[in-house]
Amino acid sequence: MIELTQSGDTESSEILRVENLQVHFPVKIPLLQRIVQREKAVVHAVDGVSFVLQTGEIMGLVGESGCGKTTVGRAVVRLIEPTGGKVIFEDRNIAKAKGGTIRALRREMQIIFQDPHASLNPAMRIGDAIGHPLWIHRSGSQSRASFRREARENVLSMMREVGLTPEEQLYDKYPGDLSGGQKQRAVIARAIILEPKLLVVDEGVAMLDMSIRAKILELMLDLKRKHAMTYLFITHDLATAKFICDRIAIMYLGRIVEIGPSKEIYADPKHPYTKALLSVIPVPDPDKRKEKILPRGEVPDAVNLPLGCRFHPRCPAVLSSCGWEGRDFLDLLDEHLSDPKRAGADETILGPIEDWWAKGLVAGRKTGPADAAKITERIRAILAEGPAAMVQAVGTVGLQGKNVIIEFRGPDTLAQTQVGERIVECLLYQN
Amino acid sequence: METFLKIDDLSVGYWTRRGKVGALVGIRLEMSEGETLGIVGETGCGKSTLGKAILGILPPLTEIQGHIFFRGRDLPRLGLEEYRRLRAKEIALIFQDPMTRLNPLMRIENHFVEEILAHESVSKAEARSRAREALLSMGIHESRIRNYPHEFSGGMRQRIMIALALVLKPSLLIADEPTTSLDVIVESQILEILQDLKRVYHMSLQLITHNMGIVAEICDRVAVLYAGKLVELGSAHDVFHKPLHPYTQGLLASIIHLDTKELHSIEGSPPDLISPPSGCRFHPRCPYAQQICVEKEPPLVEFQKGHLAACHFGDTFL
Repeated sequence: MIELTQSGDTESSEILRVENLQVHFPVKIPLLQRIVQREKAVVHAVDGVSFVLQTGEIMGLVGESGCGKTTVGRAVVRLIEPTGGKVIFEDRNIAKAKGGTIRALRREMQIIFQDPHASLNPAMRIGDAIGHPLWIHRSGSQSRASFRREARENVLSMMREVGLTPEEQLYDKYPGDLSGGQKQRAVIARAIILEPKLLVVDEGVAMLDMSIRAKILELMLDLKRKHAMTYLFITHDLATAKFICDRIAIMYLGRIVEIGPSKEIYADPKHPYTKALLSVIPVPDPDKRKEKILPRGEVPDAVNLPLGCRFHPRCPAVLSSCGWEGRDFLDLLDEHLSDPKRAGADETILGPIEDWWAKGLVAGRKTGPADAAKITERIRAILAEGPAAMVQAVGTVGLQGKNVIIEFRGPDTLAQTQVGERIVECLLYQN
Repeated sequence: METFLKIDDLSVGYWTRRGKVGALVGIRLEMSEGETLGIVGETGCGKSTLGKAILGILPPLTEIQGHIFFRGRDLPRLGLEEYRRLRAKEIALIFQDPMTRLNPLMRIENHFVEEILAHESVSKAEARSRAREALLSMGIHESRIRNYPHEFSGGMRQRIMIALALVLKPSLLIADEPTTSLDVIVESQILEILQDLKRVYHMSLQLITHNMGIVAEICDRVAVLYAGKLVELGSAHDVFHKPLHPYTQGLLASIIHLDTKELHSIEGSPPDLISPPSGCRFHPRCPYAQQICVEKEPPLVEFQKGHLAACHFGDTFL
């Protein structure tokens, strides 16, 4: 284990260090297929994520759904067990901690979920719900009566603190009687009643109306200042993150593609994905409708990850060395064939898309030597419709044995690069 | 010329055990052909009720008063059969959650075939080819037409919903929070599609949303609802640059965008619609409220050409 020096209450004490975190989920496939394929399919939800949280800071984990941000949050508070890597909380690696240890950890770290309504038991009074963690973590020596009294006092003062007033009246209400904003306040009160050091907030304001979002964000900032609480703030909304986060990590398909101080990232985003995310935030002014940089298509599935940089099939600034592979050509071919205007006679020359295969850097189809020349020529023509970077990445096109193939040159190795105070994972910034 | 859509003094009430909920009260609104109108407000302000009232899909026993004239026909007074023929064919609706609106046991193709055959007497083959065309126009390949809804991603499902809503070429499309369950990039893609469609088909679009940002992006005019009442109506430019109602001002100030320097929110929460506040319904939350606001209900007044607001002090914000 790494020995980390205890720095006490100095400003830059490290509270959480995540190193090369991996969370893979097995995919259920039918038995027969499993025997035939002989390989396990897994969803690479989180695939090598590292970051450090300093005491008292708010770090934003931003990305679209399916990027793995929620899984990171859950792995940190150990709602799920990581497949690999380390989660070092206050000098202890808790990645593989078990039952009792995890339960004790919950005093130190808590999580808030997106939907306040679903987070509260509808049959439990608000006061009881907020005090429930006290009950779970009470010490055995205390008598029930004195515990009750103390807990009630504790809950009431917590309710005042989060602005759930008049607290005496609301104590006995049920979640159904509360508005969305009040419910989220109750959830926050419950999460912080044990005075945890780390709070993971998973889309904590996404379900709330704009008009009350600000209040909840202010409350979180307030609690941070008062209790030196540390937050991992998970969101898809870069505008909200900008407002409350000291640092930002942008995630895409299980990896952090850019991480650094908020100021720097918002002022001058480096990764093309970060740029795209920033460009789609609406400007609340009908006179300033701006051009957007929209990536093509949607996030690919996390079972068969794209080669090289995972963003390359959608990237507006893609290079020839970013990871072009066989299936990228099949995607282009599919797009070409499905557009009647462009396809022309290609379906008869090239055959239906189902005849084509892709493996690694190569794509191809079986054919006789007679047709090979014609097919090769069409392939070149179709390639010309694709991104220029893709064409440059093509190694060979031609007949190989019984197949016409198209082979791409391999990608360059992607490495994390320091640019200013941030770290970015993109070939554009590598030497 | 007859108005494309004219809502005249529309009130909708739901009966509950505690009494009548006035979900909409005295709404007056017009929409012209080819226009994009944004309907905005907080949860429970009645914006979804308005969309449902136009389409005639409110729950049974709902009390509806007033008129909704659509190309001269008064919708609440249409017979069931007549209304059925109008839906999807002339007025279509896209809901918030595309997953729950597609039948999970039905192939995508059959959703289209069923809808087309319900409204037009064409052959099944013809219906199928139109389904293929509609999906292609949304960028979904015809090889996937026989797939089931769960085989598509969220963004694709929403595009399928749009294709389904547009296959009969309606003249009015009502989109109720069409992008709320989607990611930011997919949201932008869908908004772009909606704008393209408007240009191509010259279709009118009613966008119901709580997100002022997307209203600024695609709407020509904006209607702001508060507690069942229309409180402001005007061009997107006017409403965003010179909001006349304090509620609209609050909504605009609470938007969190990249240039936000300070967080703002509207104090309190929306009122209970069974016993709404007296006078102006916004007065308990309004920073400018005076005695008159408690006593007298402000009428909707046209303070500038095409810019209306229901506030006693609207002229002070001009």
